[in-house]
Amino acid sequence: MPTLKINGRRVTVDADATILDAVRAAGVEVPTLCHFDGLEPWGGCRLCVVDMSQAGWEDDWFKVVTACNHPVDEGMTVVTDSERIIETRRVVLDLLLARCPEAPLIQELARDYGIEETSYTPNPEPDDCILCGLCTRVCDHIGVSAISSADRGWGREIAPPFHKPPPDCIGCLACAEICPTDCIPYETSNIRRTIWGKEFEMLRDPKTGEAVITKEQAEHFAERSGVPITYFETSDTSKRRQMASTFQKLQVVK
Amino acid sequence: MRIESKDRFETLRAQARESNASRMQQVLVCCGTGCLAWGSKKVAEAFASEIAKRSVDATVDLFVKSTGCHGFCERGPLVALQPSGILYTKVKPNRVEEIVETTLIGGEVIQNLLYKEPVSGERIAQYDEIPFYKNQVRVAMRNIGRIDPTSILDAIAEGAYSGLARALFEMTPDEVLDEVEISGQRGRGGAGFATARKWRSCKAAPGDRRFVLCNGDEGDPGAFKDRSIMEGDPHSVIEGIIIGAYALGAHEGWIYVRDEYPLAVVNLGIAIAEARKYGLLGQNIMGSGFDFDIKISRGGGAFVCGESSALMRSLEGKTGEPRAKYVHSTEKGLFDLPTVLNNVETWAGIGAIIDRGGEWFASMGTERSKGTKAFSLVGKVKNTGLIELPMGTTLRHIIYDIGGGILNDRPFKAVQTGGPSGGCVPAELLDLPVDFEELTKAGSMMGSGGMIVMDDRTCMVDVSRFFLAFLEEESCGKCTPCREGLHQMVQIYDRLIAGDGVEGDIELIERLAAGMQLGSLCELGKSAPNPVLSTLRYFRSEYEAHIRDKACPAGICRELTAYEIIEEGCDGCHVCFKACPVDAIEGVVKELHIIHQDACISCGACFDVCPTNTIRTFPKIELKKAEVV
Amino acid sequence: MAEIPRSDLSVAEEILGGYPAEEPALIQILQDVHRAYNYLPCDVLERVAEALDVPLAKVFSVSTFYKSFSLEPQGDTIVKVCTGTACHIRGAGLLVEELERQLGVGPGETTEDLSFTIKTVNCVGACAMAPVMIVADKYWGSAKPTRVKKYLAKGGDDEN
Repeated sequence: MPTLKINGRRVTVDADATILDAVRAAGVEVPTLCHFDGLEPWGGCRLCVVDMSQAGWEDDWFKVVTACNHPVDEGMTVVTDSERIIETRRVVLDLLLARCPEAPLIQELARDYGIEETSYTPNPEPDDCILCGLCTRVCDHIGVSAISSADRGWGREIAPPFHKPPPDCIGCLACAEICPTDCIPYETSNIRRTIWGKEFEMLRDPKTGEAVITKEQAEHFAERSGVPITYFETSDTSKRRQMASTFQKLQVVK
Repeated sequence: MRIESKDRFETLRAQARESNASRMQQVLVCCGTGCLAWGSKKVAEAFASEIAKRSVDATVDLFVKSTGCHGFCERGPLVALQPSGILYTKVKPNRVEEIVETTLIGGEVIQNLLYKEPVSGERIAQYDEIPFYKNQVRVAMRNIGRIDPTSILDAIAEGAYSGLARALFEMTPDEVLDEVEISGQRGRGGAGFATARKWRSCKAAPGDRRFVLCNGDEGDPGAFKDRSIMEGDPHSVIEGIIIGAYALGAHEGWIYVRDEYPLAVVNLGIAIAEARKYGLLGQNIMGSGFDFDIKISRGGGAFVCGESSALMRSLEGKTGEPRAKYVHSTEKGLFDLPTVLNNVETWAGIGAIIDRGGEWFASMGTERSKGTKAFSLVGKVKNTGLIELPMGTTLRHIIYDIGGGILNDRPFKAVQTGGPSGGCVPAELLDLPVDFEELTKAGSMMGSGGMIVMDDRTCMVDVSRFFLAFLEEESCGKCTPCREGLHQMVQIYDRLIAGDGVEGDIELIERLAAGMQLGSLCELGKSAPNPVLSTLRYFRSEYEAHIRDKACPAGICRELTAYEIIEEGCDGCHVCFKACPVDAIEGVVKELHIIHQDACISCGACFDVCPTNTIRTFPKIELKKAEVV
Repeated sequence: MAEIPRSDLSVAEEILGGYPAEEPALIQILQDVHRAYNYLPCDVLERVAEALDVPLAKVFSVSTFYKSFSLEPQGDTIVKVCTGTACHIRGAGLLVEELERQLGVGPGETTEDLSFTIKTVNCVGACAMAPVMIVADKYWGSAKPTRVKKYLAKGGDDEN
């Protein structure tokens, strides 16, 4: 188990931990936007940059790395608040604020770093998408891959194939829920759900009539887990009621 | 046909040499992309038919060879004659009969087809005496222009696969590695990482399966040495890769080529097929027991795929997005297996290093940059083309002795090296010896070997904007500093060239540049500010002129520049009138012409064509001032 | 946007037959498809995704990431202007402007009658003859704005 020094404080973490894990273990905060525990680190937003020096490196030689995906090593020294690190984060946030001038999360983070207004040309067509890639990555993770990034560079965007309702989408809403700036719109009711322009019929609990998940999502999970599809049509209320009645029966026996 | 032993290879080589030598005369017609564009295919066909006609009477034994790029692209189509060593430039099909008659049969030189030295005006007959060639030392390009790239026997006659034979039969894989280490060769693709170190790191990685890759995704605008090598001598690349695979114990290789290089794809394909036929690729190479094969993969058109991790994603059929390199690709590369990726020119040098020894290679160049380096010399220089020189040659020697100086004898301003990740080296550093360290110290880099010469009619703000716009389009868009930073940089530069720059813009550029250098994920973003920082370092006053005086000192930025005809010099030749795309010029033949400022779009077309140099530029702001008065 | 015409899938099947049915072949297949159809038709991409067992979203992502692919039908003649550094400083911009004047469309656009598509390309490696313009497969070196009309008229004809 390697021991590191984070802002002068020693922590010991698992060998397969990342610098971000170690930083958190040391109780130090480093901002992240494209990171989500449970998904493979991506290193795209560049907000979690830290200064890092490995054992054996020349004195005072530090390298800027992203904490989210850099492996830890014995004797590593990490500084999360050096002048150049703060300045790099400031540039990143300043740029994101120009891109998404109306996104509350970005405004707030930028304010934390002393930026009230962007130094750059604000996006003439404001958009809250920061291209963190969490939506497409969670979609891949679930094994669906209905949406992806399209185009590249400044023109990059998140889109369903051909900008049409995505045939592979199961309407699970994972993309919308993971989105840090809440910029993926959807509508959901007891009967219908719409996301990415695709309409889904809701699977309803046979007893309570409540909508649970979409038919496509139930089928996807049933197929991958081997659990019968009927399991997924039971709503939480129904499950609680079933549980209650089971308990009642148990008491009777007693 | 399969070569099944070292003896068989040597016999074949001797036969090929003899067959080449038995041909009394050879006509080498350059069929590289440049000469093809000038119509060299028609020239080669004309020679073939002319020779076919003559051979009926059996008085001459002639042979026409379509070769790869001779390098002197500007003077194409080029025709070299062997054994006389005569080089004819700008040869048109209608001169072919005359060449056969007068030179090949009559033995006389046709003066007006010879290269004319731009300074002295002297005609030079011999290929080797032309300064453009005389000063070169060719290693990676050793056989280009000498062999027919579609004939493996021709390549073998000139020494191809001799290094491979030596490696397979006289050396252990570790000895090959040692030899490469002795050569001191460093990667020719950009960063200059030592070849042997890369190989050792891959060899040390655990696992049985590993790959060797060749990076032929030459994307630096202004560089084309890899194209010429792949087109003109694909066997040198293939031989190098096989030797590398042998040293590493790899059995699978890929060559990743830009799809924009169709001739390179074709010639590599032919070469690989021929090598397989002769048992130089596939199972049991040359009967040595070593198995290895190569596939070609055509890139989809993305500059970022020159970056190693992006190239590997692209080979996997994915979008070319770089990954963080905390784990080296020598350990986890293509399909997460140990992988060595080297540039075309690096591979092309390996066969020669093994054949002639690492010491030989290390005897050339500077202390830390060994051997020779290929460059594409282009831009505002008289002799443009492809050259190879020992490391440490000065810029002055390259630009003036080989390049023949600046086009139209205008003043030299800067040379851009290293592509979009490089920088501009100014006139005061003309005596800089060109190697990895010196270029980096000067704020530029070696990169892919592009050298773009710039004269006083080049605006450094405009050039920087050019690279930024290039990269903005080529950024993959994964990380924030590169994607958003390049976009914002271009916005700032758009302000500057439009005359809308404000105080503080230079500082804003510098802050953003620093953030991009430290924050970006891959080298594309990290090095994107280099052209900006190097022009700020050497040409800061030009930026200040754009911001404070609303003037473009080079007279290029359109919003800031106006054109006018100088009364005294204009002889009314009417050339500018014809060149003007918007009919802003008025005048009749033999009389003074004038430019109507209200219609002029400041494109500079008239300036470029004026034969008497009597058009001048001046800051547009003076027009506005005059209006106010 | 115009309706994408239903394309003949048999050509696509032939192309698919020449490659192993796996993701690494995707870009090579798309290049062949692009050559055959002059663009990447939607339904062909759906077929490719199915054949290689790659999600359609990934195929779409790759199709839009690389510059050699277009999802819109291209003109019969592709006119490329190299805008690499050497061509830029030797006046490639003037060629693009002249083309716009001649054809009425800008870079990346196709004329209404589908006869020409203008593309700017980042260095074709023919820098020694800058600026370079390519009509169909014919390279024109030291290209001049005043000759653009001639280059277009000659098309891919191999006469200088």
